[in-house]
Amino acid sequence: MPQKKLPPAIRPYILRFFSAMTLYVVFLVGAVWAFPRYHPTGPLAYLLAILPALPIMAVIGVVALYMTEEQDEFQRALLVRALLWGIGLTLAATTAWGFLEVFSLAPHLDLYLVFPLFCVLAGAANGIVRLNYK
Amino acid sequence: MKNELRVLRAQRNWSQADLAERLGISRQSVNAIETGKYDPSLPLAFKLARVFDTTIESIFSDQS
Repeated sequence: MPQKKLPPAIRPYILRFFSAMTLYVVFLVGAVWAFPRYHPTGPLAYLLAILPALPIMAVIGVVALYMTEEQDEFQRALLVRALLWGIGLTLAATTAWGFLEVFSLAPHLDLYLVFPLFCVLAGAANGIVRLNYK
Repeated sequence: MKNELRVLRAQRNWSQADLAERLGISRQSVNAIETGKYDPSLPLAFKLARVFDTTIESIFSDQS
């Protein structure tokens, strides 16, 4: 079977993505471990609490970097379409959930779950968008 | 937009993968352009014209 060659821009993207996700796990475990043991206060508490968010922000930067490095304009167009679907669906779902919460019809949704929700929806949209071009 | 990519490829006996390699894009992208599902940008259209040693107008024509 012929081996499928990865587009050149994908390799650094995957490396950067998994590096950021590794940092995320390390920072998250670190923050969850340190908070109940050391009870940090003041700026240190804020820094420790926000630490797991930093690699997530880096992931957004990694995707933006991929967009600038991907030389294949059609692949970029497909990704933009998938991201727009992901953004739209995430905003729609979280807005609806927010109103359900206001009227006590849904449990509280922690805001840090919005990004994973976006990733799932954009990932699903990416698969569906590409179905048209098989 | 209609295009003559399939004919031009056939004349040179190139597969979609061959053309994709010459353009530095994926085979999926070549297929999307060839089947009219995606209209390339002007720079990519020029690149296509150069690869086939012809003009953009002789590859693409406006259907409407």
